[in-house]
Amino acid sequence: MSSRSQRALARSRTGERTGITLIGLATLTAGVFGVLVGLEVFGQLRSRRPVLDPIAVDLLRTHALPARLVAVAVGVALVALGLLWAVRSLRPEPRPDLYLDPGAAGATVRVTASAATDALAADAESVPGVARAKARLVGRESAPALRLTLWLTDGADVRTVWRDVEDRVLAGARSSLGIRVLPTAIRLELDSSTGTSRVR
Amino acid sequence: MRVLLRVLAPLLGLGLAAAGALLVIEVTAAWLLGAEISAGGTSIVADPGQQGVLVPWRAWRSGLEALTWRSLLMLAVCAAVALLGLLLVVLAGGARRRDIRLEDPAENVSVTTSPRVLARLVGQRVRAQDQVASASVTASARAVKVVAVCRGEVPEGLPAGVGAGAGALLEELPLARRPRLAVSVRSDGGPR
Repeated sequence: MSSRSQRALARSRTGERTGITLIGLATLTAGVFGVLVGLEVFGQLRSRRPVLDPIAVDLLRTHALPARLVAVAVGVALVALGLLWAVRSLRPEPRPDLYLDPGAAGATVRVTASAATDALAADAESVPGVARAKARLVGRESAPALRLTLWLTDGADVRTVWRDVEDRVLAGARSSLGIRVLPTAIRLELDSSTGTSRVR
Repeated sequence: MRVLLRVLAPLLGLGLAAAGALLVIEVTAAWLLGAEISAGGTSIVADPGQQGVLVPWRAWRSGLEALTWRSLLMLAVCAAVALLGLLLVVLAGGARRRDIRLEDPAENVSVTTSPRVLARLVGQRVRAQDQVASASVTASARAVKVVAVCRGEVPEGLPAGVGAGAGALLEELPLARRPRLAVSVRSDGGPR
């Protein structure tokens, strides 16, 4: 079991999920705290104070310079963090080209991502039981991985396809491209064109 | 849920950036303008024309100074904020992948399929049995649930047959983890 091949299964959304969880937890905590204060859990006196407490305002006023500096720093940090997050989640997933081991001549050979994936998809479609195939290279250029989606025909034997794809397609691709390791994530789907199904 | 996450993440990011930008602009503006005004001998608060650059925060401030924690408005706003946070947490928690893992055919190769595919495969196998009129299947990596419908009375041994068929299919598939199988057979009424 390789973590690199597992990572190639689908684009990771861990960053987005963690960010939204943190924002959600902060919002939830703030809201619950506000409700508790209002319901006199922290004392009757506290619940009767204004939301913008004059004591807090006075404190800020006596320490105006540090308060302003902190506020500006927090603002700048929010801008940077927010933009970084938005750009990261909107950026398309890269399609790295493959660089083959230099031969005796010492020249590097580059196989473009589309050339490699077109050949791989065509190979995979020649496997019995596979109706359609789609291949895509993912990951960094220094550590590329392959994502292969196979649509199986109705009645295809999953176990046979599962074995044939590795034996015929992937092993062949690795040897013809001259790369030892190409982490691969295979996704099996059923061809939707064959008949309708009442199954969800 | 994952689609919603993909839409929401950049929006939240842009929202955070916008809030940060407003904070910087307002604080800096109040700082610089405040310095000018106090140099002129008037205090900031006494200036009625000064409302903030983009956000009328001075009006908000007087509003917030009048609002107590126990007021109904404040309680409602806090409850809404808490609910929003809860929704975000639930959304992020629910947006996990529901893929079904198969055994790795070789090193550095991992195989997955979707719950739909497993459900369709099981459904095809179950419907292939003669006495089954229709069937619905729900599947996840942990459990497969089959509800088969037959015409007329449920024949003795049909539930066991359906279970055996579905179980055999699950055995045939190179699943990394064999899901629990629950089978129920009911009659559609049929001729009496």
